[in-house]
Amino acid sequence: MAGLQYTLNRILLMIPTFLLVMIIIFLLVRLLPGDPAIAIAGDKASDADIAAIRERLGLNAPLWTQFWLFLTNTLQGDLGRSILLRAPVTEVILARLPTTIFLTLYAVTLSILIAGPLAFVAALNRGKWQDNLIRAVFQVGLSMPVFYIGLLLLTFLAAQLRLFPVGGYGETFLDRAYHLFLPAVTVALYTSAILMRNLRSAIIEVLDAEYVQFARAKGLPPRLILGRHVLKNALVSTVTLLGLSIGQLMSGTLVTETVFAVPGVGRMMLEAIFARDYPLIQGLTLTFAVLVSLVFLMTDIFQSWLDPRMRLS
Amino acid sequence: MKAAALALALATSTALGASTIGFADAQERGGTLNFARYDGSKLVDPIYADRNPDIWMVGSLFSTLLSPTEDGTDLVGSLAESFEVSSDGKTVSLVLRDGLKFSDGSPLTGDDVVFSLERARNPDLGPWSGLLSAVSSVSADGRNITISLERPDPALLSMLATFNTAIVSKKAFDAAPGANDQEKSAAIFAAGGPGVGSGPFYLSGFEQGSSMTFTANPHYWKEGKDGKPLPYLEKVHFEIIPDDATRVLKLTAGEVDIAEFIPFSRVAELDADPAVDMNLFPSTRIIYSPINTRETRADGTPNPLHDKRVRQALNYATNKEALIGLVLQGAGKPMSSPVMSSSTRLAADMNPLYGYDIEKAKALVAEAGLKAGTEVTLTTLAGSADDATIFAALQQMWAPLGINLVAEQVDNATRGAKNRSGEFDIHTYGWVDDVNDPSQVTGWLGYFPTAKAVGTGWNNADFNTLYEASSSEMDPEKRADQYRKMQDIYAEAAPLLFMYETPFAVAVSGKVDGYLQTPLGNNVFENVSLER
Amino acid sequence: MSDTTISRGNVRSQRRGRVQIAFRKPGFMVGFTIIAISTVLALFPGFFAPYDPNFIDYQAVRQPPSWQHPFGTDLLGRDSFSRVIWAYSVNMQMAVLATVFALVIGVFVGALVGYYRGIADMIFGRVVDAVITFPFLVLVIAIVAVLGPGLINMYIAITLVGWVYYARLMRAEVISQMANDYASAGIVMGYSDLRIIFRHLLPNAITPVIVYWMTDMALAILLGSSLGYLGLGAQPPQAEWGVLIAEGRNFITTAWWLSLMPGIAIVLTGLGFSLIGDGLADLLRPRG
Repeated sequence: MAGLQYTLNRILLMIPTFLLVMIIIFLLVRLLPGDPAIAIAGDKASDADIAAIRERLGLNAPLWTQFWLFLTNTLQGDLGRSILLRAPVTEVILARLPTTIFLTLYAVTLSILIAGPLAFVAALNRGKWQDNLIRAVFQVGLSMPVFYIGLLLLTFLAAQLRLFPVGGYGETFLDRAYHLFLPAVTVALYTSAILMRNLRSAIIEVLDAEYVQFARAKGLPPRLILGRHVLKNALVSTVTLLGLSIGQLMSGTLVTETVFAVPGVGRMMLEAIFARDYPLIQGLTLTFAVLVSLVFLMTDIFQSWLDPRMRLS
Repeated sequence: MKAAALALALATSTALGASTIGFADAQERGGTLNFARYDGSKLVDPIYADRNPDIWMVGSLFSTLLSPTEDGTDLVGSLAESFEVSSDGKTVSLVLRDGLKFSDGSPLTGDDVVFSLERARNPDLGPWSGLLSAVSSVSADGRNITISLERPDPALLSMLATFNTAIVSKKAFDAAPGANDQEKSAAIFAAGGPGVGSGPFYLSGFEQGSSMTFTANPHYWKEGKDGKPLPYLEKVHFEIIPDDATRVLKLTAGEVDIAEFIPFSRVAELDADPAVDMNLFPSTRIIYSPINTRETRADGTPNPLHDKRVRQALNYATNKEALIGLVLQGAGKPMSSPVMSSSTRLAADMNPLYGYDIEKAKALVAEAGLKAGTEVTLTTLAGSADDATIFAALQQMWAPLGINLVAEQVDNATRGAKNRSGEFDIHTYGWVDDVNDPSQVTGWLGYFPTAKAVGTGWNNADFNTLYEASSSEMDPEKRADQYRKMQDIYAEAAPLLFMYETPFAVAVSGKVDGYLQTPLGNNVFENVSLER
Repeated sequence: MSDTTISRGNVRSQRRGRVQIAFRKPGFMVGFTIIAISTVLALFPGFFAPYDPNFIDYQAVRQPPSWQHPFGTDLLGRDSFSRVIWAYSVNMQMAVLATVFALVIGVFVGALVGYYRGIADMIFGRVVDAVITFPFLVLVIAIVAVLGPGLINMYIAITLVGWVYYARLMRAEVISQMANDYASAGIVMGYSDLRIIFRHLLPNAITPVIVYWMTDMALAILLGSSLGYLGLGAQPPQAEWGVLIAEGRNFITTAWWLSLMPGIAIVLTGLGFSLIGDGLADLLRPRG
């Protein structure tokens, strides 16, 4: 019951936030310089063509009317038509969204697989050479720009050694996992670096806690201590961190998709920006905002479920 | 090491040679060609295609009545087996081939031709209807097609060989869902499958912004070298890879067979690769920079570029060969006609058009009384490496004239807006012909009513009169003479910085044979065969 | 009065002690050295770079590394080594200019809403929620798209988004400092609000913000070079590491030095800032 109440409150809180999100998105695109009608018409159009396009897009209506229309249409799932792709924005985004979600989840999985074991090794060997080495490597990883890692992996592992395909994505699940392996690793390197740090300190914190020291003193086998206390703490910490860094993950995905020519919404965002595709930029920005807030919501609910004390604060 | 590699390459090529000789008469058929594109198609429909990635694919899905010969100088029948223009130039009669079929096997009749041409000239529909403005009616009687004109139009036959007059199936449009032609067209494209066109292929797969697949049309009318219908290929699969470097990687990794728009800086490297055939297809693409010729700039101050001597000086001071070396790594040539590419019909060969002559340039600016340190703005495309190079080079080249060139970087839409409003000094631009006739590019660059002579504000009465006269001149010699005069006037007035022509750089795997990109940019797959 | 002076004095002497400890930590020392060298290169690139970074030499294009051109020359015959060195001034400037305005605005707004709370704080809360709902990069590139590509517009975009993060941090610190005695003492003694906020609360609340700033500078270099690479940040022909990598990516196998050198420069400076940030964070973390 209390959990449900919490969830409902949490969802209600999202309403004013989203109104603001909509205002930001709307204003952003309205303030773009250059006449969108010219962008749509192309270089070879006549002046009359351009006037007709302005009229058709409703660009002559007052700003307030345009916003109201934007808001009501969006709530009905209508984000307008993409200028670049000549199709409903909702449709083109939904067609390419699964690729991006797949890549993001793939990267999260890889991050956990990379960061988890290494964090345990580092924490259990605190201060020894293993710990220092792991931390140093991840420190360098944190300082590498995503596009550069991607470029190196693409050129050397894919094009030179031919271990992986150069860009694109496959048809079946396994094929897709193979095609998107390098992009996912690229995104995961950064996330796993943050995750490893946090997990390491979370584990150390538990190991140092008095009740664990006590359990050790009592002679409980180390594996049991790890299983019972450390894992739960580590899980909460991992979920929280991944939830909070979803924005960074998405940013990384955007760059990675561009470098690896993965046809997802991240690459679409850049294409839309270079083509001045107003409705598509709006739709994509909104999509990213919705994805992030859904993840925030799930993280909060998950946390409150794992740790009921959180609900009070 | 090197010698060994060479020996190996020789051995391979001899082996290949032997195998080719062995099967000299057997034409390879079947297989899927993988093609890496720089940008994707959005809607391949003859009348709605308005971006190059759409226009250039129309010919693969739809056939036109006529088509240009391989060298582009003349026309031959395509869907039409014969054609004739009446002596007054106001009636064009054509006869369709017998037994023409759409890609689903349904017959292609005169009704389809009337439907397609009416659609193409309807000003409420696509952006190209103006190209058929001389047409007053189209009728069909069996295989005989009659096109009546309000006035003679020397370019009309060329228009019948252009993508926008390609024939679509009336039946397919009647059956398609949608309230109007646009919706029907979009629905047909989205559904894919055979039936709407009669080109060598039909659309069989499409993923927005990601990939596209063409499948061979078994009912295509044209025959191959082996006497069986074209195309040789079973499928063409397109993958969209906007990044130049990745496109090349895909090709060298063997994941695709053809990669288009190879950056010129990599042409030499790919040319040296024995597994790759590096093609530089001649194109109608020209790179030039409009110069604002108005008396005053947009802010009201006097415009130093209004004086044609200054514009001529800029042209003389620009070392085109050096520019071509820097931007194109040598893969290009200076413009030799002021209003079109040298591969366009009626192009005058005025080479060298403003050959590099710094002394002459200095004399001209001195004569014009240009003040030293005059600031001129070059508007370039943000993010374009080529434009950045052009700017840096022109800044160095023009400094001796006392011109202080400054850069202004804008995006494509803003550049277009500035061109239309005249708020620029000089800006970079480019053009590829869409039509196999010089009237389109000449009208764009010089005829004031079309687009203020590509935004320069140059308005020359003699030029305009000549252009109007040439638009209904049916005598080829007189028309050629008019074009010659227009080119002389334009070159002398120099409303542009005349720069260079660039080819289409396409890297093709050694196992692909017969690929062609026409000077208009059309990708031609019907003669392509894959070695197994 | 005496209360507050003592507490501020404590902060200062505590800090001095901590800085001395910091220099004994190897990580911090390495970071400090890297940033010190980078700063010198950024301030006097002309002294270290042998050539004009934008000078086009038609005769010497795409040369491999040699004594004359240690990192070779690029497509236009420009000296790559000089371009990487000159890029130090752009990228180090980026670390500062992309963050410092966000820092100032954020500290100011955060302190005010944290002190006054009320309706302004509620509105601020909604703004924070709305802004963090967008992935940072998405919002930044959307704003850059509005303003047009280029360095200055990029700084504006990053500032427009980034101040929120500083303000959120500052607000939380101010609220926790308010619970301390000296703040209430100030109120009791009738000091003006501004004096309490800026003379008493701010010096105590700013430490975590400064630590965050160091990490943020590392992020600013990563973000700025990413935008440069994507064509939305610094514009060619300006030498900037992201732009240099973009220019060199066509030759990553044939002329690897063109993209490798700027890549190393990014990693090194990023590492420098984050090592300093980590060092400071370790030192300033309250110990139980």
